[in-house]
Amino acid sequence: MASGRYAKRLQKELQEIQKSPPHGIMIEEANNLDRWVVQITGTENTLYNGEKFRLQFRFNSEYPLESPEVMFIGVAPIHPHIYSNGHICLSILYDAWSPALTVSSVCVSILSMLSSCTEKVPPVDNQYYVSRSIGKTPKDTRWMFHDDTV
Amino acid sequence: MKVNITKWSSVSTWHWDVNEECCGICRMQFDYCCVDCKVPGDDCPPVWGTCNHAFHMHCILKWLNSNQQQQCPMCRCEWQFKSDQK
Repeated sequence: MASGRYAKRLQKELQEIQKSPPHGIMIEEANNLDRWVVQITGTENTLYNGEKFRLQFRFNSEYPLESPEVMFIGVAPIHPHIYSNGHICLSILYDAWSPALTVSSVCVSILSMLSSCTEKVPPVDNQYYVSRSIGKTPKDTRWMFHDDTV
Repeated sequence: MKVNITKWSSVSTWHWDVNEECCGICRMQFDYCCVDCKVPGDDCPPVWGTCNHAFHMHCILKWLNSNQQQQCPMCRCEWQFKSDQK
C-alpha cells in the first residue's frame, strides 16, 4: 500500500501524530506504512486509568475512501463493545466511516469509548462471536449498532 | 527625465479562494492538485457542498462514487453541490 495513491496522506498523518500526539496516544510501530501499531493509555479517573493497550491499523490502497481495519492486538480491554479477540464494535470503523477521519481521531474515539464505560464487562455474545470470527477481519462482520450509551 | 522601458517581465501568483487550507479527503493543499492529478489549476478545482465544505472535485467524486450514502465527509449532511461557486 505504501505505493498507493494516498500514501502521502498517510505519511502526513504519521508526521503529525508523531510531532504532536494526542494525550494517551503513541505510535509504537509504523515501519511499514500499511500497518501501524498504536499504544493507547487509559485516561485518568476512568476505569482504564493507566492501562496500556495496543491497537493495530491496517490500510488498504483505497484508504481513506475505505476505512482502515482497526483492532486490539495482545490483551484487549474488557469492555461491552470490545470482543476478546480484539474486534471493536464502533460504527465509525465500518458503516459510518468518513474519509475526513484520521488515525488520530479514531484513536481519540476509542479512548473516549473506554472513558465513558461504567462497568468492565465483555460483550454479551463474546464467546459466540469470537468462535465464529477466527481468522476473519472485523471489517467482514455485519455489525449492528444499537447502543450509543457506552 | 525620460525613461524608456525596453523590456519587462511580469510575475504573478494565483490561489484558490477556499477557507480551508487542505482537502479533507486527500489532505493536500487546494493550491496543489489531488493525488491523481499532476498539474494544479483549472483541471483540478475545489468544489463546495451546500454545507460549505470544500474538497477537490476529484476527491469528493471518488468518495460519492464509492459510497452508498451521499454524505459530506465533514458534517455528514446530505451532499449536494453548491451551484453558485465563488
